[in-house]
Amino acid sequence: MTMSASTRLIVFVILAAIVAPLVVPVMMSVSDTPFMTFPPQGFTLRWYEKVIVNPEVQHSLWVSIRLAAVSALGALVVGIPCAIGLVRHTPPGRQIVLALVLSPLIVPLLVSGLALLQFFSLAGNRWTFFQLAVGHIVICLPYVVRNVSSSLLLSNPDLENAARILGADRWTTFRRVTWHQIRPGIISGAIFAFIVSFDDFPISMWLADAREFPLPLFLEVAIARFFDPSIAALSTLMIVLALVMIIIMEALLGIKVRRFAG
Amino acid sequence: MNIGASKTLSGSLLVLPAVLFLLAFFVVPNAILIAVSVLARMDAGVLQVGLNIDNYVRAFSVDLYWMVLLRTLRLGFAAAVVSAILAYPLAIAITQGGSFGRIVTLVVVTPLLVNVVIRSYAWSQLLSRQGALNWVLTNLGLAESPPQLLYTEWAVLIASVHVFLPFIVLPLAGAIGAIAPEIAQAARMAGANRFRVFLRVIMPLSVPGLAVGLSLVFSLTAAAYVTPQILGGNFSPLIGTLIHQQVLVLNDWPFGAALATLLIVAVLMTNLVFLKGADRLTRRWTAGVGA
Repeated sequence: MTMSASTRLIVFVILAAIVAPLVVPVMMSVSDTPFMTFPPQGFTLRWYEKVIVNPEVQHSLWVSIRLAAVSALGALVVGIPCAIGLVRHTPPGRQIVLALVLSPLIVPLLVSGLALLQFFSLAGNRWTFFQLAVGHIVICLPYVVRNVSSSLLLSNPDLENAARILGADRWTTFRRVTWHQIRPGIISGAIFAFIVSFDDFPISMWLADAREFPLPLFLEVAIARFFDPSIAALSTLMIVLALVMIIIMEALLGIKVRRFAG
Repeated sequence: MNIGASKTLSGSLLVLPAVLFLLAFFVVPNAILIAVSVLARMDAGVLQVGLNIDNYVRAFSVDLYWMVLLRTLRLGFAAAVVSAILAYPLAIAITQGGSFGRIVTLVVVTPLLVNVVIRSYAWSQLLSRQGALNWVLTNLGLAESPPQLLYTEWAVLIASVHVFLPFIVLPLAGAIGAIAPEIAQAARMAGANRFRVFLRVIMPLSVPGLAVGLSLVFSLTAAAYVTPQILGGNFSPLIGTLIHQQVLVLNDWPFGAALATLLIVAVLMTNLVFLKGADRLTRRWTAGVGA
C-alpha cells in the first residue's frame, strides 16, 4: 500500500510526539536556575557536575553494572545449552520447554518479583545481590535463548556432524565449530540480557535493599527528592547512553534494536 | 543406542539446567503466591492460615479496591486502543521500506532503550502546570488557563501509550509487510480509494499482528508500576501500586497475593481472548485460505 501525503504528515507528527518528551529533560538540564523551569534560562553545566560526583549515583550505577554483568553471564551459562538442546536435539516435551522458557515474558514482571520475594523470605535467605541476580536471570533467559536459537537455525549442522565424524568429541565440536557459528547470537543475547537487567524496575523493586540499590530505583526516589535540574541532567546522561548503545548495536554490531519488542 | 535416542538424552541434559532453574525460581514461587492468596488471610494484623476466599471477596466488595481494579482494566484497554490507532500509520510507513521506513523504525524503537523511569519523568515535566506543553499552549494562545494534566488518568494514559507503542507497531508492521502488494493493487484497480483499501484490505489482513500488539500493550499497561506512580501520583493508583502498598507498607501478603493473582488472570484472559478472537476473524474473512 502506498502512502498519501496526508498519511506522511500524520507519521511525522507522531514521530515528533515520540521524540519531544525525550528532548525536554535535555533542554532543562542546562537551565541556570535552582529549580525546574520551561523554557530554560541561561546555560550551565553545573548540574552535570553535581550528579557525576554524587556518591549515591556512583554507588547505584556500580550496583546496576555488577548486577547486569552477573545476570547476563548467568543467563548465558543456562541459556546457551538450552538453545542448543532445543534446536539441535530432540528433548522430550520440546514445545513445553520452549513455552516455559518464554513464559517469564507473559506473567507480569511485578508479580514474578513479588513471588520471588515471598519465596526467598520463606527460605530465610538474606543475600540480596544473589536474589536480585536470580530474578534478573529469569527475565533475561528468554532473550538469550531466542537470540542463540535464531543463530543456530541459521548455521549449518553439517559442519558439526563433519567434526564429529572426523573424531572430535562433543566439547571440542562445540568449542571449535558451534561456538564460532553462533557467536553473533551469543553476543546479541548477552547485550539484550545486560540491557534488560540494567533497565529493570519491577523485579528489583521487590528484591533490592538500601545497600544493593540499582540505578532505576535510585532514579525513581531521586525524582521525588531533587527539585533542581540535576535530575534532568542525570536523565540526559541516561538518554545519551541509550543513543550510544543503539548506534553501537545497529551500526557496529548489526543487531536490530527492534527485537526488544518481540 | 541409536541416534534418535541419543539425541533425546543429550537434548534433555542440555535443557535441564534452564528447566530446573525456571521451575525453582519462576514456576514454584508463582505457584506459592497463588496458593497463599487462598490459604491465608490477615485478620486484624494477625496471619490466619486456612482455606478461604476472603481476600478475593474483599477485592471485589470494598469500593476502593474495586475501583482500582476497574481503573486498571479501563486504562489498559484505552492504552491498547489509542496505541493501535497511532500504530497503523507508523506500521504502514515502516513497510514502505527505504530510508524513510528505516528512520521510522529507529525513532519508534529508540524509547525502548531509555529507562522507563526517565521516560515517565520526561512526561511529568512536559505535562506539569509549569511544563513545556502548557508553555507552548499558553504562548500560542490556545489555552488561557493551562489545564492540569499531571496526576490524572490522562497523564498515565499518554505516557503508557508512549512507553509501550513499539510493542504494537512492530507486530503490526510484520503483519502488514506480509500482505502481498498485489492484493492492495487489485483493490485499487477495482476502483477502491486509499481509505477503502485500508478499511477492506489492510485492516482485516493485519488482524493477527493487531491482536498480538493489543494484548501486549494491555498487559504491559495494566501491570505497570513506575508510569502510574510518577504520572498518576496517589490520585489514580493502578493495581501495581495497590499490590506494592498492601505488601510493603501494610504487610498484608495474602491480600497482595490475591491482587497479584487477579492481575495474572486478567493478563492471561485478555491474551487468550484477543488471540483466539483474531484467529477466528481471520479464518472467517479468508475462508480458511492461507490462515
